[in-house]
Amino acid sequence: MVISTALSARIREAGLAYLLLLPSLAFLAAFTYWPILRSIWFSFHDVVLGDSKIIWLGLENYQRLLEDRLFWKAFGNTAFYTVITIPLAITCALLLAVALDSKLRGMAIYRSAFFYPVMIPSVAAGMVWVFLYSASYGPINKGLSLIGIPDTAWLYDSKWALPAIMVMSVWKYSGYFMLILLAALKLVPSDLYEAARLDGISAWNRLIHITLPLISPTLYFVIIIGLLHSYQIFDYVYVMTHGGPADATNVLTFYIYQNGFQYQDVGYASTLANVLLLFVGGLIAVIATVFGRRVHYLGR
Amino acid sequence: MAEVILQGVSKAYNGRPTVHAVDLTVADKEFMVLVGPSGCGKSTTLRMIAGLEEITAGRLLIDGADVTHAAPQKRDIAMVFQSYALYPHMTAYRNMAFGLLKTTSLGKTEVDRRIRAAAEILHITHLLERKPNELSGGERQRVAIGRALVRQPKVFLFDEPLSNLDAKLRTRMRGELKRLHKELGLTVIYVTHDQIEAMTLGTRVAILSQGSLQQVGAPMELYMRPANTFVATFIGTPEMSLLRCAVKADGTGSRLDHESFSMVLDADAANPDVFLGVRPEEIHVHPHSVPGMARGIVERTELIGSEALAEIMLGQDRITARMPVADVPESGAQVSLSFDLTRARLFDANTGRALAA
Ligand SMILES: Nc1ncnc2c1ncn2[C@@H]1O[C@H](COP(=O)(O)OP(=O)(O)OP(=O)(O)O)[C@@H](O)[C@H]1O
Ligand SMILES: [Mg+2]
Repeated sequence: MVISTALSARIREAGLAYLLLLPSLAFLAAFTYWPILRSIWFSFHDVVLGDSKIIWLGLENYQRLLEDRLFWKAFGNTAFYTVITIPLAITCALLLAVALDSKLRGMAIYRSAFFYPVMIPSVAAGMVWVFLYSASYGPINKGLSLIGIPDTAWLYDSKWALPAIMVMSVWKYSGYFMLILLAALKLVPSDLYEAARLDGISAWNRLIHITLPLISPTLYFVIIIGLLHSYQIFDYVYVMTHGGPADATNVLTFYIYQNGFQYQDVGYASTLANVLLLFVGGLIAVIATVFGRRVHYLGR
Repeated sequence: MAEVILQGVSKAYNGRPTVHAVDLTVADKEFMVLVGPSGCGKSTTLRMIAGLEEITAGRLLIDGADVTHAAPQKRDIAMVFQSYALYPHMTAYRNMAFGLLKTTSLGKTEVDRRIRAAAEILHITHLLERKPNELSGGERQRVAIGRALVRQPKVFLFDEPLSNLDAKLRTRMRGELKRLHKELGLTVIYVTHDQIEAMTLGTRVAILSQGSLQQVGAPMELYMRPANTFVATFIGTPEMSLLRCAVKADGTGSRLDHESFSMVLDADAANPDVFLGVRPEEIHVHPHSVPGMARGIVERTELIGSEALAEIMLGQDRITARMPVADVPESGAQVSLSFDLTRARLFDANTGRALAA
């Protein structure tokens, strides 16, 4: 009797939980899972935007992708962007966070200053950097000319366009990562540092052997978030270079956009999107197995 | 040799004075306990000795060298924190080895030898491969002490290291600390707010109140000859009762007058207004009215194991007496009191200072 009331109470509670989850689950299904399934289905067909005729292609889209030089270029650009931008942004963020974690006065001002780029919409930030990078009147060239470096058309030079976007991304990501890492640093008990100082452990060794292991769960989180962000980079490319010059800044999401909305080849765009999803998923799985195991959870 | 000398050491936080000109000499191999109520500046004083807090004024000497402004690692001290401050991601072994490996030129074998030796002494050999979260409070405590021991520093600092342990374990760890101090000949400065801990551990005890040093001395000395009413009431449980009295000249000698009794003073006292300090065990309670004795009314009684305490109103003053359980009077009863004072313990009623009687 008692057991059955307890059981029915639990069932009722679970029922309520599902009921409350239902709206968001419905949204997820309608706007995430259904499109994913659709895009998998599309990738096996020839689908043209605005044309109701759909032709079965089998694996043809995937074959085409393997031979598509532009796909490999966009893939390489995205990987290059990620491999440089994320570690650089995380390193900057970490150093900033450690510096801002000190108990000096006025730190709140610096904290806001470094977080400020995060609050600027990426399109607006992109416009600002287009101005900064401008060949003739951009402040960057003006500054460099002071030390005798000739003007460069940063965003129109296929050698410099991608690095230019990467520099701006580091600027934008660092503040965001810094804030997350700073929150983690605040959770490291200060007496651990005091004990280390009494032992004469150098600041470098304190960072490597105490700080990093203790904030590793957060660091891990930031790396994953960073990866996800950088493989989805679209807005800066769209605003600043439109993939150019000569596809020097064409990245996967931009290439998907080009295929789907400019060439209206939805089938091929879906194929690209699926490959991107698979690749990022695989990458995260690798990182999770390699790095996830070394993460130390405080007090766990 | 490891002598620690504080000369007028003071601390102000943002201009707010917190520790006032502490003069204290801790001799080599001494177990010095700093004790006082919460917020009196014990931790601050200890952290100034450690170098974790800047010394606002005064001088600190360790082994004759002026280390007032020296970095913590230059002072050759080790500290055991109340929170233990063990590195949570390292095993007990690694916790002890980390500092030695990173900051000394000792080889791995010597470090290992020291850790094994310390682990042996502390009975934690079987725990060395565990991480702090796999250890009990008492075991963490030992590892923290071990981490200090392997450093072989000149001075050991402890900040309330036992306050996170249960009463039984605390008593046992107290015994072990005492044993370690004796066997290894350590110089220890130990902070606690627990006067019983202070009395049982210290070779000498320094009592701090509101950032000022009240008295320094051996436990018995503090108990028998408190320098002022603060020390008198801080040391001893239940606390010493203070009775407001007047000293009156009486022909040849002088008398001590309380509103409910009067007694002969065997010495002169310069001040007319005094407190008479009486410890609970110095009060005898007689159930019947005895002529010539002070009369009081029992307010409350309390059993504490084999003995009992009685709070008795003596005129305006409340006193606490200790007695065998069999002799406990009823609440509300009228009793007669006598004092078993080898010497009257008198304090200036205005300054609180002890008077030489
Ligand atoms: N960093 C600080 N900044 C400002 N005031 C402080 C700081 N640290 C301590 N204080 C103040 O100094 C006084 C003494 O503090 P301290 O920690 O030395 O007390 P304590 O005797 O160790 O007390 P407890 O027994 O509670 O640990 C307290 O009033 C405290 O509020
Ligand atoms: Mg304290």
